[in-house]
Amino acid sequence: MICLIALIVFAVLGIFSAKYRTIAFEAFDCVFRRVTLRKCTSGLDKRLKSQITGKLMKRHHGLGKAIYKNFEIISWIFTIALILSLGYSAYSVYNLFAFGNCNGPIPDAFCVFDPFISGGHETAECSIEGVAGEITGILNVHPDDPSIGPSDAKVTVIEAGCFGCPFTRQAFPMVKQMLDHYEDQILFVYKDFPMSSAHPGAQESAEASHCAQEQGKYWEYQDLLFANPGKTEFDDLVGFSKSLELDSSQFSKCLSTRKYKSKVDADFREAFEIGVYGTPTFFINDQVVVGPKSFNELKLIIDSELAKGG
Amino acid sequence: MFDVYKIREDFPVLKRTIDKKPIIYLDSACMTLRPVQVIDKIREYYEQYSACGERSIHKLGKGVDEEAEKAKKILRKFLNAKREEEIIFTKNTTEGINLVANAMEWKKEDVIVSSDKEHNSNLLPWQLLIPKGIRHLIVKSNPDNTFNLEAFEEKMNRDVKLVSMVHTSNLDGVTFPAKEIIKISHDHGAKVLLDAAQSIPHLPIDVRKLDVDLMAFSGHKMVGPSGTGILYGKKDMLESMKPFMVGGGTVIDTHYQTAKFEELPQKYEAGLQNYAGLMGLGEAANYIMRIGKENIEKQEKILNSIITKGMEGMKFRIIGPQDPEKRGSVVSFVPEKISPHEVAMMADEMENICLRSGAHCVHSWFNEHNLEGTTRASLYFYNTKEEAEKLIETLGKINELIK
Repeated sequence: MICLIALIVFAVLGIFSAKYRTIAFEAFDCVFRRVTLRKCTSGLDKRLKSQITGKLMKRHHGLGKAIYKNFEIISWIFTIALILSLGYSAYSVYNLFAFGNCNGPIPDAFCVFDPFISGGHETAECSIEGVAGEITGILNVHPDDPSIGPSDAKVTVIEAGCFGCPFTRQAFPMVKQMLDHYEDQILFVYKDFPMSSAHPGAQESAEASHCAQEQGKYWEYQDLLFANPGKTEFDDLVGFSKSLELDSSQFSKCLSTRKYKSKVDADFREAFEIGVYGTPTFFINDQVVVGPKSFNELKLIIDSELAKGG
Repeated sequence: MFDVYKIREDFPVLKRTIDKKPIIYLDSACMTLRPVQVIDKIREYYEQYSACGERSIHKLGKGVDEEAEKAKKILRKFLNAKREEEIIFTKNTTEGINLVANAMEWKKEDVIVSSDKEHNSNLLPWQLLIPKGIRHLIVKSNPDNTFNLEAFEEKMNRDVKLVSMVHTSNLDGVTFPAKEIIKISHDHGAKVLLDAAQSIPHLPIDVRKLDVDLMAFSGHKMVGPSGTGILYGKKDMLESMKPFMVGGGTVIDTHYQTAKFEELPQKYEAGLQNYAGLMGLGEAANYIMRIGKENIEKQEKILNSIITKGMEGMKFRIIGPQDPEKRGSVVSFVPEKISPHEVAMMADEMENICLRSGAHCVHSWFNEHNLEGTTRASLYFYNTKEEAEKLIETLGKINELIK
């Protein structure tokens, strides 16, 4: 049994270092012989047993003795554990391809096979303290909401986000990838859900984004907000408008008079009332996804919605 | 005065530790450790000469010749050979035996006699002669693995051309009665080739007193460099044989169809030699002479007694006579219900004890006795009582694992 474990362990190590490949080949020969009901002639099993036991006996005689005497049983336990582990890994790989994450239809945890895009964190969204997470409705799209894509698109993706939230910022490249991929097949709408108590300046950033929107540069301004986290002072926000060559006096006036406070407040209230508790929250037609998921995960939902014909 | 702790200071490997534990080297029958004097001598060749011997007349070339000559003088003294030309430089015992097998004139029905405990190097060269009509006879040992002189005498007759026999067995450390074997052989008109690989490092050997015709041994088993060995031969014996390997250095002159061969020993030393090795081997012989073979033998017997006594009651069966005095530097044992390799590996892992395991190149004996192999501890003068006791302590722990 130890040869089977050795085969897998040394085959993996052999990918990184040639010195383990010989042992991997030896282990393969041993396993192959056992499978074909022949005796393992290389003595690898005995070598491993002696070396493991010898190392243990050096530190603790009793432990080494116990391992030596029960080596076959322990090998079996490890083999079974290894097979179960491999089976679970295979199931997770299947899930990754079928559902875009390791965990199957309900993605809510870290996926080791997709660590670069997916959340990969225990808390995968910025949430409002003390609010239970249950979303009971969907958000409405208003004419003054910033949006990209045709209004009659079969799929509408609404993101409730907070400019101060690191997870909203983390999802930002995925949103860009999604817009590039689907172009005019979807309507993307961004709604403000600023959590100012946790992220000071989020409210002001949201209001500033609408001041840029009235001068036709909402998305460019949003890019700057995500690219410059923490820069939420009045001068910072005005500075962004200048870099986009907006009318800075109009922008300053808009921001200082808090022209869009009511709009941002209304967005927040509407989302809060239907149970939105954190950012980013995505509404893909009537399906809800919370947290910065991978593009593959959202793609699976969008594609299924597109297939439905809206 | 023999002081093992002082001697150990000459051996750099013994100063090493692995996992903060010292190395206990008990594999000297395979290869001995080297003292700094031998290492320095090898370095001296590369740093001071690094040139051809026996050819170049420049200062460096002449320097090599002088050093090689010095080494041969030391080796002559080491063996008490009559002449330096009786010492042929080889790369090991194996080459020496193969040289004899190929250089002697054989005719159909010639007989070669060996023991049943021959190393493959003293078995295969004779097996290769069988297709030429040569007969190779094996003398079975006594049940305790000592030499059976009666069985040997029964094999002997006028057809026996050569008795090629191991002197001390690497399998169990038993030394055969070489003097008696040689006398009986000579009485029957046979020549004797002694495989002295395991005896020359441990026992006082005087080739003239032994009256041996040919004798092969290796440098690496007597604190000398790897890739060095000696074939000793009586002058008339060596002259009666034809050159085996030929080429540069073996001839005085050549024409397209003919050649005039060199005298001894160059006749058998083809090509440029391992001069660094020869210098190192000379130094190794010097080193052993300084230590004294009597001291070496005495130290080994003391340690062998400690180990043999310590192993009493353990589930390890010692091969050969139970009396350690008869096993020189070797304790070779068959573990019950556990592979000999397992014992060696565990001892290595637990206490850095270097043991050898397997058939020790004497597969024929193991096949005859239906055994997988043995675990072998082989001692040398640099081993200590503490090391012998540590071996016993470790074997005791391994012994507890055996059900």
